[in-house]
Amino acid sequence: MDDRDLVGRARRGDPEAFTQLMMQYQVPLYNMALRMVGRPDDAADIAQEAFTRAWVKIRTLRDAPFKSWLFQIAANLCYDHFRRGRRYGEMPDEESNKVIGLGILTPDPQERAEASERNRLVRASIEALDHDMRLAIILRDVNGMAYDEIAGVLGVPLGTVKSRIARARAQVQEHLQRYPDFFPSTREDAHAE
Amino acid sequence: MPSESRLPAEPTLEELSAYLDHELDDDAKARVAGHVAGCAGCQARLDGLRQTAYAIRALPMETPPRTFTIPATRRESFRWAPVAGWIGGVAAAMLIIVVGVTHVPFHPGATSSAGSTSPVSGGLAQGAAPLSNKGAAAPTGSPGTVSADNSRAFAARNTVTVIDPRNDARRLSLMINADAYATDGWIVVDGTMSGDSSANVGQIRLVLRRGSYGVELPLPQQTFTNSDSIGFEGTDSIAALRLPNPVSGTYTLSATWTATDGSGVTLFAELPVTIK
Repeated sequence: MDDRDLVGRARRGDPEAFTQLMMQYQVPLYNMALRMVGRPDDAADIAQEAFTRAWVKIRTLRDAPFKSWLFQIAANLCYDHFRRGRRYGEMPDEESNKVIGLGILTPDPQERAEASERNRLVRASIEALDHDMRLAIILRDVNGMAYDEIAGVLGVPLGTVKSRIARARAQVQEHLQRYPDFFPSTREDAHAE
Repeated sequence: MPSESRLPAEPTLEELSAYLDHELDDDAKARVAGHVAGCAGCQARLDGLRQTAYAIRALPMETPPRTFTIPATRRESFRWAPVAGWIGGVAAAMLIIVVGVTHVPFHPGATSSAGSTSPVSGGLAQGAAPLSNKGAAAPTGSPGTVSADNSRAFAARNTVTVIDPRNDARRLSLMINADAYATDGWIVVDGTMSGDSSANVGQIRLVLRRGSYGVELPLPQQTFTNSDSIGFEGTDSIAALRLPNPVSGTYTLSATWTATDGSGVTLFAELPVTIK
């Protein structure tokens, strides 16, 4: 069943339909919030609040796609989190968390340690971005959204999306280039032979 | 750098990044590809961006630390209690205006405090008009200010909608989630700005005032947008607001929305708030 059917049922007050939407989006929404605010508990609070607000207000959803609308609610909650002076939280080591493995398992302890360090450096480089660029690159490279979807979430023109993602990537690249042992291929001169 | 003068123009950073994402139109894509194929420098820039994107995409997707839930029914979960349900758009707002003006009395116990005409600190509301379900005339103190009364206003227990008399499409709805709050409670302020394509949530100013003293609430966040309206919402701890002691008392929540067309026209909505 696609979003439109589920949204239609949820608009009519069907909690089961909305629960299916939650199941579909809980991991990407939580990960968006996590990469924005850093602390798992804060990210879970944001995701929970976003779902609650979406459920309460789904009748106000008109033509906009549910996904963009839901992520827009969560994005606004992230901005609210920052406005209230809450800082980016230092994440605990991912090995202590439940992780959905997308990569190859690295049983070798040294490889695992290196992968963990690489991830820590990438997270730090994202954290160093301003909020607007951070959100744009997270929606693109963490959530895999197309530019027009991102424009819907952010409420900005496509050109702004394009610019924020490009500048964010350039800044992350610059950050990662400081660690050539971990990211040798991000150096431009590594390719310009 | 390009080694041949026939190479297409050097792509910008934005074009290279969008090229990676397959977000360029066919012409631009061909132009970037043509240039990169003949330019080692741009090939290196592209590869660097590609590897950066890969590094971010390699971050593991994590499972949430807890299960997310919603209340069993939306009605029970709904914190508002407006007479006609949720105001989601102009049609609903219009319905509430009609119902409210003809049937719903103003909330008793809140009229006296809401009748204060003291200006809000910070100069936001000179000549602020008190709300009244009778539509009693109240002077507007500054040109271009539209009070809730001399526009066609409706005030229910916790909902008010004001309409710009010079532009019927432009409306401001304001809601709060209760009539009375504990001193350690939370106030949820919600609203809708309609009929102005240049509207953004940054144009809203919310002030909670008692007498001549007011506290500006943090900027609410945008909750939805559609073709003709924007929703906003803010949740604030009463205890965290710098309210005068004793905190308990009757207040007025004011929302102002000034047009960005240079006219200075301001929609002005107020609701009574009691803190116990």
